[in-house]
Amino acid sequence: MDDSQARKFQKDLNAGLVALVLLAVLERSTEDLYGYEIAKRLQRANQGEALFKEGTIYPVLRALAAAGLLTSRVVPSYAGPARRYYRITEEGRAMLRQWSDIWRQTRSFVDRFIEGTDS
Amino acid sequence: MSVNAPRSIDEYLKQLRSALSGEDAALIQDALYDAEEYLRAEVAAHPDRSEADVLELIASTYGAPEEVAAAYRDTEAKVKAALKPPAPPAAAQAGGLQRFFGVFMDVRAYTSLFYMLLTLATGIAYFTIVVTGLSLSVGFAILIIGIPFFLAFIGVTRVIALGEGRLLEAVTGERMPRRPVHPGPPASWLTRIADMLKDVRTWTTLLYMLLMLPLGIIYFTIAVTVLSVGVALAVMPLVAVAAHLGWAANATLFSDDASIGSFVLAEHSLLAALVLGVLGVLVVTLLMHLARGIARGHARLAKSLLVAPGA
Repeated sequence: MDDSQARKFQKDLNAGLVALVLLAVLERSTEDLYGYEIAKRLQRANQGEALFKEGTIYPVLRALAAAGLLTSRVVPSYAGPARRYYRITEEGRAMLRQWSDIWRQTRSFVDRFIEGTDS
Repeated sequence: MSVNAPRSIDEYLKQLRSALSGEDAALIQDALYDAEEYLRAEVAAHPDRSEADVLELIASTYGAPEEVAAAYRDTEAKVKAALKPPAPPAAAQAGGLQRFFGVFMDVRAYTSLFYMLLTLATGIAYFTIVVTGLSLSVGFAILIIGIPFFLAFIGVTRVIALGEGRLLEAVTGERMPRRPVHPGPPASWLTRIADMLKDVRTWTTLLYMLLMLPLGIIYFTIAVTVLSVGVALAVMPLVAVAAHLGWAANATLFSDDASIGSFVLAEHSLLAALVLGVLGVLVVTLLMHLARGIARGHARLAKSLLVAPGA
């Protein structure tokens, strides 16, 4: 069994979870963050094999901003192109609360079967 | 990853570009911008390692060009679906008549008409900026401030190009860049100026801004003329009814000479007024279609001049 099946499963899971994690990171942060900073925070928090490629968070950040869940501003940088800093909006916070509830419900539901607490 | 894993940022961006080939030029510009932000930050964060060493690990952190390209494609498809305003109701199966008048239900027809009116103002502003900027650049060329002034001037035109693109995307839905074009790695001022002068987009942007004055005048004139003629004709039946009821029998609005208004009043012909009214509604409807078409065509023109070709 090659691990392409495993990768596909992980990718399907990530489809919605990356957006949830990004909202959570920005809600906890006291300052605005730019893409690279967010990517590195996720990388630090993640032990072992990366759950998703850092390149995939950028389009999600743009999608969240387009949906009004994040605002952004551009700050010039010496290291390369100007950086886009993101901050969560009130709408984003409300969405995060809602999504977190859904995630908790989903997690306990799935756990019930995987951990066998329900028989 | 593959045999020809990128060994430098430029190589990575080149591969990402080719992995995205066929996608919208604006999407590619955004993706390259994001990748460049990350890659340059990553290289800067590891001053002890060479660019090639850092790039070696990129496939496992940022992702290989093909993976990143796939992520942008997926997200773009979802965002496009989510942001697209609902199609005008029943436009697909509607008959010709319904489709003709359905334009009044289309938000874009109104925004397009608004854009046509706005172009006179933006056209004058852009034209003035370019003419002033170019002539001052030439004038300052013999002084030391000539070079920074020219750089700032080109910078301003790029910001305007981005803003104009955002405006046109809002008006017509044509995908435009959401990020500015990155000026490239830090380089000396002279190289930067040389690059700017060599970049065809610098000149097409200036051309677009100059073109906006005549185009703005034409769009504005069409919009105002046709709109006022159409509305004037459309309210003709109301005027006739008012005249018929004696509310406006001696309306000073219409003189005795042979204008359409006095004709209607003189003949007291409700039928003629009705025909003119229908004609007015047709004129306004046609204008809405025209506005939508012009804005769409203009967006395409803007894209070909403001967005780097094949980017």
